[in-house]
Amino acid sequence: MRTGIAQSSGIPDRPALLPSRYYTRALILLDVHLTSEEEKILAGEQGEGRRKAMELLVALGDIYGAERLIPIASAQVSGASFKTIGDAGLRFLEDFSREAKVTVRSSLNPLGLDLVRWKAMGIDERFRERQARIVSAYRSLGVEPLYTCTPYLSGNRPRKGQHIAWAESSATIFANSVLGAMTNREGGPSALAAGIVGKTAEYGLHLKENRKPRVRIDLEEVPRGLVPLAGHVVGKLAGNRVPYITGLDVGPDGHKAFGAAMAASGAVSIYAYPGQPWKADLSEVREKISLPLSELKDAEESLAGGDDWDLATIGCPHCSPAELRYLASRLKDKKPSGRCDVWFCTSRHAYASCPREVAVLKRFGKVLCDTCMVVAPIETMYSRTASDSGKAMVYLPTLGKQKASFRTTDALLGAISR
Amino acid sequence: MCSSPLSFLGGLDAASGEILDSDCESKGESVSGKVLCFPYGKGSTVGSYAMYQLKLNGMAPAAIVNSSAEPIIATGAIIADIPMVDGVDISLLRSGDYTRVDADQGVVELVNVAEKDVVTCILRNGGKILLLKRSGKVGSYRGQWAGVSGYMESGEDDVTSALRELSEETGRTSIRPTKRLEPECFRDSDVVWRVHPFLFDVPSREITIDWEHEAFEWVSPEDLSRYPTVPGLQTVVGKLLERRKRKAD
Repeated sequence: MRTGIAQSSGIPDRPALLPSRYYTRALILLDVHLTSEEEKILAGEQGEGRRKAMELLVALGDIYGAERLIPIASAQVSGASFKTIGDAGLRFLEDFSREAKVTVRSSLNPLGLDLVRWKAMGIDERFRERQARIVSAYRSLGVEPLYTCTPYLSGNRPRKGQHIAWAESSATIFANSVLGAMTNREGGPSALAAGIVGKTAEYGLHLKENRKPRVRIDLEEVPRGLVPLAGHVVGKLAGNRVPYITGLDVGPDGHKAFGAAMAASGAVSIYAYPGQPWKADLSEVREKISLPLSELKDAEESLAGGDDWDLATIGCPHCSPAELRYLASRLKDKKPSGRCDVWFCTSRHAYASCPREVAVLKRFGKVLCDTCMVVAPIETMYSRTASDSGKAMVYLPTLGKQKASFRTTDALLGAISR
Repeated sequence: MCSSPLSFLGGLDAASGEILDSDCESKGESVSGKVLCFPYGKGSTVGSYAMYQLKLNGMAPAAIVNSSAEPIIATGAIIADIPMVDGVDISLLRSGDYTRVDADQGVVELVNVAEKDVVTCILRNGGKILLLKRSGKVGSYRGQWAGVSGYMESGEDDVTSALRELSEETGRTSIRPTKRLEPECFRDSDVVWRVHPFLFDVPSREITIDWEHEAFEWVSPEDLSRYPTVPGLQTVVGKLLERRKRKAD
């Protein structure tokens, strides 16, 4: 039998077997090393909910090359608005809440409505009913009902060096950069799974090596109102490199706005700056970029949009108490212009701590808690929205289907008052 | 089967399991109860929940085969309990293949497709390579151009097969391979050819062909595309002649 390709070789044909890696159920093939306790969870000895959560952590760890799981101090869970997760997410959470509970402090992102003023917002009954079921599922899961993207201002504030598993990109970048905690940008299900197991897979920004700045970006002195745009531009410039940023002379609220915009326009969830609370190793900085003020002005122009908004929004991320005080101080001696509807978005916590300021703001528009212009079903109520947030400028046109206009905080205050 | 990335949110109808993505060659078919094969996921993270919804609706695929897993699909597969494998060369799969996904062994079995191990030897002399035209007496790929090739026989390693084929088809003996590469797989109708590539540098262009071939030519590698060749030959030649890149300092 001396044959060419096509003749039968005398060997019986066997079916083609293509080697593969297995991601569900047969986790023995994975590279993540588990302790015997973790293996028990994975084997389902502590219930189906914990098994599923563990399976998720291990599979994601394997995809990203983690070698082990590490304990976390807290979780921040996204995927709370009915608008973003829909009926599918609702069904998953309802089913999952019957079989699992978080074991470390876990707080929840904003909902699609203000739990108190939903009717005044223009939310319909169907949406409210679905949202209420999501709220109740998360309550059963043991997730703390903070309903804010700024959990670090409402009690869930990690300490320097702590490993955490946070979803919500604006909170993640703040925790990494300003608080010196260590977290990847989790998805909703993986943050929830981490909260349930109390651990996360060790990869990405949990490793010091990946927190080293690779590019230096020098800013000229940035006017307060353009800080979010600086974040927007830096996010795009940095690409997937951790930036070291000079010239950003702002307080915590400035960092909150800057980081939120940077995380929304870019892929990186951390930046370093002179005086950051954690130690940044600058030995890997290979490129230096100067960002002149003129580029921020250009960005302001390109994001300006039209003047005919039907809604003006402030509070993305949620307004801090200091920001509420600033807004109220600028408005207290003015009258509403009546030009458009106005939303001030904040956390329940900040709202409760600033009753006098809230009273001033209410003369100009709605002060909403538990929700924001990004995750509320804004497209059913408005079509043209202005915002002072670099993050909202990314999501209003996409998720919110809005014609979006960027204005500085002061410009918005000027427009809504007289 | 979908050769392009797929999103479960928008790319698929959750009620019927029908594929809506117009980039997908199986658009209009339902994934329900089938082995769904695509390179990797794309789009919104809500796609994980959409996979769960599909499962609740009883329309989930029986299994998912990916070339590389990413978080959205992996998350969805886990929360919806859909068996999923990755690391599979999906270019070897075709729509309609009867496919068995083995969870424990980590293999995807193409039940009606035969996998055949063959050696392919490329002979090189003075910058030209030897092409042989397959004769009318062989069982397939008649009239097409190939390297020195043949089945690996039972119990035979690939080097032994290569030297045997070389001796039979060209009359050359006692030479050593210049290069030997890991096997490359190619799909052609109901066969997956697992080709073991070899490169031989030979001191002269004299050869003696046997009944399996009716002609031979020494050609420049650049001219290969002008010949009708057996599946994968260009790829194999390309890899064999690839110079190792110098490390950039």
